[in-house]
Amino acid sequence: MFVSPEPLIVCVSILRLELKVAVGDRAELLGVPIAIAPEPGGAQLIGEVSDAAQAFGIAPGMRLGEALARCPALLLIPPDPAGVADHWERLLMALEAVGAAVEPMRPGLACFDARGLLRLHGGTLSAVLAKARQALGEPARFGVASTRFAAVAAATRARVRHPMLVAGGQREVREFLAPMAVSLLRGSPALSALVEPLERLGIETLGELAALPLAAVTDRFGASGRTAHRLTRGIDAPLRPRDPGESVREALDLPDASSGIQLERALGILIDRLLSRRERRGRTLRAVVISAVLVEGGGTWREQVTFREALSDPLRMRLALTPRLVSVPAPAQTLRLAVERFGPPTSDQRALIDDPASDRLARLREAIRQVRVAAGPDAALRVLQIDPGSRFPERRAVLTRFER
Amino acid sequence: MARLDTAQRTRRLGVPAPVAVLAGEDGQPLLIDGREVDGVRESWLLEDRWWAERPLRRRYWEVVTTCGRDEVVFHDLRSGKWWRQR
Repeated sequence: MFVSPEPLIVCVSILRLELKVAVGDRAELLGVPIAIAPEPGGAQLIGEVSDAAQAFGIAPGMRLGEALARCPALLLIPPDPAGVADHWERLLMALEAVGAAVEPMRPGLACFDARGLLRLHGGTLSAVLAKARQALGEPARFGVASTRFAAVAAATRARVRHPMLVAGGQREVREFLAPMAVSLLRGSPALSALVEPLERLGIETLGELAALPLAAVTDRFGASGRTAHRLTRGIDAPLRPRDPGESVREALDLPDASSGIQLERALGILIDRLLSRRERRGRTLRAVVISAVLVEGGGTWREQVTFREALSDPLRMRLALTPRLVSVPAPAQTLRLAVERFGPPTSDQRALIDDPASDRLARLREAIRQVRVAAGPDAALRVLQIDPGSRFPERRAVLTRFER
Repeated sequence: MARLDTAQRTRRLGVPAPVAVLAGEDGQPLLIDGREVDGVRESWLLEDRWWAERPLRRRYWEVVTTCGRDEVVFHDLRSGKWWRQR
């Protein structure tokens, strides 16, 4: 059995995932000009579009007015961010179930290193890809290369039944990428800003970018230029697979379409339920996802909240999460709360007997005296508020001597 | 704790320190000192001393990195440099 010394990065690409999820079981809609409507309250830009819409010159990210001008019969379908997240999570878990350590990039695009899976699934790459395809259960394109960037580029050239394989190492990757357009850099949010200036300078292919001296590219474009240059030369950072997640979530069906204070109460119930789940095992929560199914086919709403510090206190969680409900664009019929990431275990132990304040003060004075004896008079200092209301933190307080 | 100079008994707290930040095209920090940003908690604009010769204009970002650290950094809109506030 052959085991490649180079990484065998497999990129899994599922086209129009968001559109497919939003359409649901009305698959016949994918044959007509259709696009995902702008998110309520957001910029008036359309989301993914069908092939039929693309034939009218409509592209994702286009202004709604321009899209309707190009195709007055364009159908708009409400976005379903919560459905997309759930569906994508199911697909990632399916890949993880066959042993892949997956790095998700965005919904519909993920990578994993196939080297560790060869022995598990028959010893050949095609067997691994067949297993992954079977696990996904829906059409996907596979690109394989020794770097993540090249694998993604290969997936854009692949077809559903015909994976694109870039064999070899750094030199072969560089040769494969050379004729490709620099617009491929748009796939990375950190590099997308480079595309327009590169094209303006007449650099249209990745090969032309790779041929430039690294110092010149770095001088002109900074760190992002250096990263792009390395990618085009077949050098990429290692994959950072996610930790296979635990699915801890709670949902509440609301009897009537709810908003405002009813929604806040429902959120309180969900927080209490989530914190009482056995799977939490005393851990704090670092990030959660609130989502809602909106009434009358209005799609879904979803927002991820990362706490300032990992929490397990329901009151503080309510304070952090309740303001987010304001952005729910319509009354909801279902509210969900899921753990995105756990934090360290919490310590809920308290002292058996509270110390009186005078004891604490006496101990503090004694501690300061000992510190001064050991380290000099400037060792014990105090924070003096000079302008506590200032909007600039460095003007609020100074450090000065502690006077007993 | 750093010892104070005898002649200078006070020192400002919370003085910003330079920090290496990689930002996206919308100005949002993506990497802070090599640590990936996990989520943005808040962003706000501060302007002051607009009547003076050296006005202050800062875009603050409070972010949480993937290692769980809560960071407050700001982009000095006059000099273009990034600073860590906390």
